[in-house]
Amino acid sequence: MFKLLILSCTIVSLLTTSIRADDWPHWRGPARNGQSTETAWLDQWPADGPRVAWKAKVGLGFSTFVVAKGRVLTTGHADGKDTVFCFDADSGKLLWKHSYAAELGDKYFEGGATGTPTIDGERVYQLSRWGNLFCLDAASGRVAWSKNLQQEAGVRVPDWGFSGAPLVHGNLLILNVGDAGMALDKTSGKIVWQSKNKEAGYSTPLPVSRGNETLVLLGSRQSYVAVDALTGKEAWRHRWLTQYGVNAADPIVQGDLVFICTGYGKGAAMLKTGAGQPQELWKTKVLRTQMNPAVLLDGHLYGVDGDSTSPASLKCLEFATGAEKWEHSNVGSGALIAAGGRLIVLTATGELMVAPASPASFKPTARAQVLRGKCWTSPMLANGRIYCRSVPGDVVCLDVRKP
Amino acid sequence: MKLTRRSFLRAAATAGLAVPFTTRGADTGRKFRAALIGAGWWGKNILKEALASGRCQITALCDVDAMGLEVAAEQVNDLSGKQPKTYKDFRELLDKDRPEIVIIATPDHWHALQTIAALKAGAHVFVEKPTGHTVNESRAMVKVARDAGRVVQVGLHRRVGPHHASAMKFLRSGAIGEIGMVRAFAHSAGGPEKPTPNSESPDGMDWDFWCGPAPKRPFNTKLHPGGWRNFLDYANGQIGDWGVHWIDQVLWWNGGEYPRRVFSTAGRAIRGPAVRNDREQTTDAPDHQVAVFEFPKFTCVWENRQFAGNEAEKHRIGAYFFGAKGTLHIGWRDGWTFYPANKKEKPLHEDPQLQEPDGHNLKLLWRISSTPLRRPGPPPGGSSWRTARPCCPCWR
Repeated sequence: MFKLLILSCTIVSLLTTSIRADDWPHWRGPARNGQSTETAWLDQWPADGPRVAWKAKVGLGFSTFVVAKGRVLTTGHADGKDTVFCFDADSGKLLWKHSYAAELGDKYFEGGATGTPTIDGERVYQLSRWGNLFCLDAASGRVAWSKNLQQEAGVRVPDWGFSGAPLVHGNLLILNVGDAGMALDKTSGKIVWQSKNKEAGYSTPLPVSRGNETLVLLGSRQSYVAVDALTGKEAWRHRWLTQYGVNAADPIVQGDLVFICTGYGKGAAMLKTGAGQPQELWKTKVLRTQMNPAVLLDGHLYGVDGDSTSPASLKCLEFATGAEKWEHSNVGSGALIAAGGRLIVLTATGELMVAPASPASFKPTARAQVLRGKCWTSPMLANGRIYCRSVPGDVVCLDVRKP
Repeated sequence: MKLTRRSFLRAAATAGLAVPFTTRGADTGRKFRAALIGAGWWGKNILKEALASGRCQITALCDVDAMGLEVAAEQVNDLSGKQPKTYKDFRELLDKDRPEIVIIATPDHWHALQTIAALKAGAHVFVEKPTGHTVNESRAMVKVARDAGRVVQVGLHRRVGPHHASAMKFLRSGAIGEIGMVRAFAHSAGGPEKPTPNSESPDGMDWDFWCGPAPKRPFNTKLHPGGWRNFLDYANGQIGDWGVHWIDQVLWWNGGEYPRRVFSTAGRAIRGPAVRNDREQTTDAPDHQVAVFEFPKFTCVWENRQFAGNEAEKHRIGAYFFGAKGTLHIGWRDGWTFYPANKKEKPLHEDPQLQEPDGHNLKLLWRISSTPLRRPGPPPGGSSWRTARPCCPCWR
């Protein structure tokens, strides 16, 4: 009976999986860990790569994609404007777009849009580098409400502008704005709580459950901080100085362990959190993720070590100790996600690779040159399609559905 | 090679950083006590090469941004296993640490005062280009360097880069014939500029000290980190940055002889008028500039533009030497290429050999160990200080 019950549960969950779309509605995916559970996709491709379902041009930027209910969104910049694009996820047909004036902001890089939108049911939230915050209707792109945080709330903009995606938590919209975040009412745009008006870091707010409460982890200019999601009250703060205040990569959490990792030669630390301030268990310089965070699978981290100006490499580290397991060179400032136990890596020069996530070695089962030019943005998989973009804004949707 | 009284400051063409202490014989292998003033991105790149030379230990760092200073100190510790002392005030550093070599990588408006203070404190100096913010500042630096009997190395690594050296050899071989004109240039993309709101300076940064001898203005993220090159109170725009490197190639080739006349024009046609008020600011450097340097036997044109950057031209940075037998382009990541005037001949090309980040050749400026340690001899025919500030006052 017990066995039968388990069997029927498995079937039910399998059925639900196959019926329910494997959406990726916000930065880092459904579980906010850079992974999806989607398994039914092709990890071996013909010599010329997987079938290209559609292509698009979205303008200059670094925003990745989000998918829900058959819509895929990203952002780009052209001619003094940022634009949020909404395409049909299958056909690539443009469903709507929303543009607003935005400076190029090309300090030490090409500039353009950096933040990824967030989909929450029938709403889309977008925070621009310069503090323009929009709540859009997901079906039409119509503006439900908008706010300029720089002008209306006087918030300080960090050197490269805000780049964390908005986090929806209950009725709150939590942003990496200010010293330790800020929250707005997601339906009205009214500010609910705010932190000190100091420069933010560049990570996306990450919610973690602690008992009955939810803490939100944020990379701030000089530290990683945890605040209560509902009140903004600070739970802990770990001083972490990275050059130019670029605490960008989201922390990676497992139980009470919080792994923080940044670039510019800084490296990583494993924090043990609990009551009071975190304890540093160990530090390493083996992994230095400048922009995109690593992914954690089966006790091992997989991430890009090095800055955009260095010959960065892909590395595997043991989560418990930080020990390096392997290094795969010449990935550049690329990025990766994981799905169904496999890594999906887009290199800085536009090569897409798929490989089983294994601490033993990095052995791609599929690789293809899917884009030309610089690529610093993580690829995204949803419903059997991989979405990639280059910095100038070439978008490619690859069909990797199993026949 | 024509020598002038001004040509004291030694470019790196021949010997790298010549360290002229009274050290002799047995202690030629010892490490020099070096300090860095201005611990930003480029300062740390210089510092890494100083450490990599094996001839320097970094004993002290100075910066007016406390966070940047702490990050830099951690990096020195990572690289050398030794924690440097940290200072906000360079005067205190010079007084307490007594460094033998001082690396100066602050914004341009601080170069002269800090170089002079370091020389007077008995140190040799590695100062980033441009030497001074004005011609007179550079002249004052030369005078103090001579009086102090110390060596000043300017960070013109394009004087030692392998493809630059071989291009110069090629030029001097006469292969391109008599040279009538040189066009040095740097072009990039850009567009209209919007003002950015002023803000408080970052926590732990002494903005008043940062402005120092230059006019104080409200803090703005366009200025720091790094954007100060586009503000004329602190730097000289593109001609004071890229222009220094490429015009220096011309002075290297011609032996440092002066132009007879210099004139220039510039503007902000695309960026738009400069804005500076209590609420917000734009940059105020030109978005394009043309300068003509009239030499007795040839004309040199400098041109920079930060718009229309669609790679319409074959090269976007470097210097074209136009000769009777063809055109030599000396570039950056594109190495050098000779385009013969005779269409039947094929172009010649050499790739660069650069270090990262930012494609430099700083390592070659730190070959101390290969240089005999001695007091400086008579001034060699370098010319780097002159290129250090080729910007003409015409535009302002």
